[in-house]
Amino acid sequence: MKKRFSGLAIAQHAALAVMCLIALFPIYWMLNSSFKNESEIFTSSLIPLKPIFSNYTYAFEQMPIVRMMFNSFGVATLLTASQLATGLLAAYALVRWRFRGQGFIFALLSLTWLIPFQAVMIPNYVLVNQLGFNESLIGIVLPFAVSTFAILSLYQSFNSFPRVLIEAACIDGQSDFGILTRLILPNIKSTVASLGIILFINGWNEYLWPMLITKKMENAPLQIGLRMFVNSDTNMWGSMMAATAVSCLPILLIYLVLRRQIVDSFVRFGIK
Amino acid sequence: MSQALETSYAPPLPGKPSIARNRSLNGAKLWRKLKPYLYLLPALLLLGIWMYRPLLNTFYLAFHKWGMVPGTTPEFVGFDNFARLMENKSFIGSIGNTLFYTAGLLPFSILIPLLLASVTHQMEGRMKNVYRALFFVPMILAPVSVSAIWRWLFHPSNGLVNDVLLRLGAISQPIAYFSDPGFAKWLILFITGWKMVGFSTIMFSAALTGINREYYEAAAIDGAGSLKQFYRLTVPLLSPMILFMLTMSILFSSQWTFAYIDILTTGGPYGTSTNVYYEMYKYAFSNLNAGFSAAAALLFFIVFGVISLTLNQLSRRYSFYDN
Repeated sequence: MKKRFSGLAIAQHAALAVMCLIALFPIYWMLNSSFKNESEIFTSSLIPLKPIFSNYTYAFEQMPIVRMMFNSFGVATLLTASQLATGLLAAYALVRWRFRGQGFIFALLSLTWLIPFQAVMIPNYVLVNQLGFNESLIGIVLPFAVSTFAILSLYQSFNSFPRVLIEAACIDGQSDFGILTRLILPNIKSTVASLGIILFINGWNEYLWPMLITKKMENAPLQIGLRMFVNSDTNMWGSMMAATAVSCLPILLIYLVLRRQIVDSFVRFGIK
Repeated sequence: MSQALETSYAPPLPGKPSIARNRSLNGAKLWRKLKPYLYLLPALLLLGIWMYRPLLNTFYLAFHKWGMVPGTTPEFVGFDNFARLMENKSFIGSIGNTLFYTAGLLPFSILIPLLLASVTHQMEGRMKNVYRALFFVPMILAPVSVSAIWRWLFHPSNGLVNDVLLRLGAISQPIAYFSDPGFAKWLILFITGWKMVGFSTIMFSAALTGINREYYEAAAIDGAGSLKQFYRLTVPLLSPMILFMLTMSILFSSQWTFAYIDILTTGGPYGTSTNVYYEMYKYAFSNLNAGFSAAAALLFFIVFGVISLTLNQLSRRYSFYDN
């Protein structure tokens, strides 16, 4: 096809540009507002005329942002690691062997994603309180330490791994665990990595559960701390937007660097 | 085939006494039988503790009255919670809103993305991916951050939206959008949709790349215009993905709206923007009525279960596959 600058093509680009503007303008407005001074914040100027940085310093004074960011990284990393570890072991077992109860276990796993979190939140809340894990990272992580979404996604990729190779390794006397770590894993590295990206973003953005069990900002992930700040009814919109910008920054930076991989992993695995 | 290989694992050693060989064989056999369960154990144990046990517990709580106070025992009330749910105005209202959000989200999860995907699909070169990558940005942001931004944009006295509308003369008074019954739920729907569009777009785009271009060339030769190509070719060929996104959208729209409801309106004004999941959360953690919340959760677990199984059947029957 030749490149034509027909009316239709121009109209299409214009429509797409408008859609991009709708998608991105709120994010731009957040950054714009975060650099405006107190008198400018209430005007609609499209750029900060006298950009200031004090909104950020104020936000950092009002909230333990570094601490909360550390919490968020801790939660997201722990969740990703444990969901991948349990998922790899479980998916491996389901693909590698035929055993009694396999169909039942598989059905159980596939139906788990239908259970809304609200249907398990009260008993889990009670248990975490009994264990004394409220206000702690371990309490945030434990109920989500295994993800059926991860198990089933890994099951699919394991299933497409050539069985002949597994059997060959078996004859060579490789241990079962060795087959998983030395044969399968190196070969599906990219799949595991893209799944890891999704699990990390999910963990970073986790909302209801951390909100239920953390009441103090020092113990909360960034999202929950930000919620407390937003709900505190201050009219400090400049620093509010600065805090919001800080909360978005890590994910946006990761997206900037790994754009292709992130989009691909969402295409491959969908969302939970 | 793998089973045949596994029996060759521990070949009987020649020269060993037959009894000892039998015993070691039995041990190895038992070990082999146990092994799959051992690998599954961490996952199943955690799921048991944090998924299946609480689900059963919720089932139990649904028939009890309990104020979630440690040390007190739930009191058995039979179907009382369910009966009271059916008479509860806020619950009935929240069902209506749930339907509103579910139906209202479909344009954002299906129609707009389908158009965006097919328009960008025809483009050549880098621009196609640039557009798709940009649409996708809202998807990866956290709901709280997104809510904070939109709250600022729609701020009653100083927000950009009011400012622009006032200047254009479209409104004469600034509007407090999130405490206005006429606007609150529409805005929550819009924000949820705004976040979803990019995700659906890349899903449809990925499905489109799998379609053989020759179909379109043939259709063009037959004189089909681009509109006709869209609904005669694109839509049927994408039907598996459309049904998949439909299922996702219907099942999860109430989950996706939850955070925005919580941060932007807390369900108000007068319960006009709440949904069933948010009501369950309020029953439990504001009203401390665990049984009520559990009954509602159980009810909707069943409702959504039936819906998803039906949709699953539908997608098996009606998906059109390009073989």
